[in-house]
Amino acid sequence: MSCRAPVTLAATAVLMLLTGCASTPQTTASARPGPNDPLEPVNRGIFWVNEAVDVVLIRPAAEIYRAVLPDPAQTGVRNVLRNLRSPLDLANQTLQGDWNGAGNVLERFALNTTVGIGGLIDVAARQGIPYEYESFDQTLAVWGVPEGPYLVLPLIGPSSVRDAVGFGGEYLGDPVRLYADNNDLEWASYTRTGLTVLDTRAGYIDVIDDLRRNSFDYYAAMRSLYRQRRDGLIRDGAPDPTQMPDIPDYDNSSTP
Amino acid sequence: MMTNRRSIFRGAVGLLLAGLVAFALPAAAQQAGKAPSDFVQKLGDRAISVLADPKVSKPQAVEVFRELLNDNFDVQTIGRFVLGRYWNTAQPAQQKEYMSLFEQMIVEVYAERFSQYSGETFKVTGSQPAGERDAVVTSQVLRPSGPPVNVAWRVRGKDGGFKIVDVVVENVSMSQTQRSEFASVIENNGGRFEALLDALRQRIRTVQTGQASAR
Repeated sequence: MSCRAPVTLAATAVLMLLTGCASTPQTTASARPGPNDPLEPVNRGIFWVNEAVDVVLIRPAAEIYRAVLPDPAQTGVRNVLRNLRSPLDLANQTLQGDWNGAGNVLERFALNTTVGIGGLIDVAARQGIPYEYESFDQTLAVWGVPEGPYLVLPLIGPSSVRDAVGFGGEYLGDPVRLYADNNDLEWASYTRTGLTVLDTRAGYIDVIDDLRRNSFDYYAAMRSLYRQRRDGLIRDGAPDPTQMPDIPDYDNSSTP
Repeated sequence: MMTNRRSIFRGAVGLLLAGLVAFALPAAAQQAGKAPSDFVQKLGDRAISVLADPKVSKPQAVEVFRELLNDNFDVQTIGRFVLGRYWNTAQPAQQKEYMSLFEQMIVEVYAERFSQYSGETFKVTGSQPAGERDAVVTSQVLRPSGPPVNVAWRVRGKDGGFKIVDVVVENVSMSQTQRSEFASVIENNGGRFEALLDALRQRIRTVQTGQASAR
């Protein structure tokens, strides 16, 4: 990540807001008739640039990270990163009106920061309070903000108008980052960003390798995958049969 | 003595009742109960027993996988669903070829995926109805390292048994993903259905040669 990242981000966020106004309301992803990707040619261009950066730089780095760092250390890093998200998770749970979830965030933070040695050990998960990722783009979705067209952001990857606004807003409002940046601890923010990228990418090495190998249209597969996963996060992970597409029954006898 | 005889009697009645119920109720009527979960658990156990067996060679595993697929999945329905409205743009001969290629592709790709088996286990965690026809069976694949993977199976009561019509891995539906890909392949080739058939043939070839070199 370069030092320009915040500027680019803010600019994109503004751009997203502007384009967002022009978008039409959407139903849920499963009920969506088309790919809702009016910028597909541009998106595909950015997608392939991102791919190049990933193949040359990010994936190899993530691979080294995964191979070199022992498993417990990787888990520890992930736990610390998650713990640092506590203010964001708490804010989003509250904004979504999920009081139970908000309570869980508080309890997790208290336990893991103290007993869990600054978040290194996820004691709370062992006590039956697992981590829940809550981001501002999910909050916007819960509020009923339409998703808007699909977007591929430079370096960041698959997104949508709503998700990009959420991402940008969260970046600007993150208390942990603001605190670090206001106290000459920019290096801490960069380290955190770097580790977040490595940790996230390392977790997807096998999935993305498989996708690259086996997809018919990698771009389209990624678009579909991204949306379905995000919709899953919005529902807090529970499978929802009412959101599933209608699969009609086709007669076996019509074709041999 | 008395209690003993009574328990034997009870056992006999229980067996008789169970037999009657099993006999009288068609399989489709049991749909609401535990049946879909059992169906999925049995299928998972069977698949893992084959995958974990070092005596089973790769070509044998592909054959077992083809058998499991055709016995337990509604390939016809899945194939039609992932094609969506493009089914009607195809000629009957193309439709027929598509179905055959689709089945081949699924077998090759998934057999290759499953060949990377490394000691995962599988347990069904629940079941809920989905629409009028289906049940969604949720399960977890427990890996030797890393967090468990949530897999949901959409099961349909059919022909007196069960058939799987979709597999949802961590909220990602395989059918839906495939459907959006197929649509994209056709759309980006000027709506030519033949382009999809080409892509399928190509896919099958690369997987097969990949397997040949891996052997």
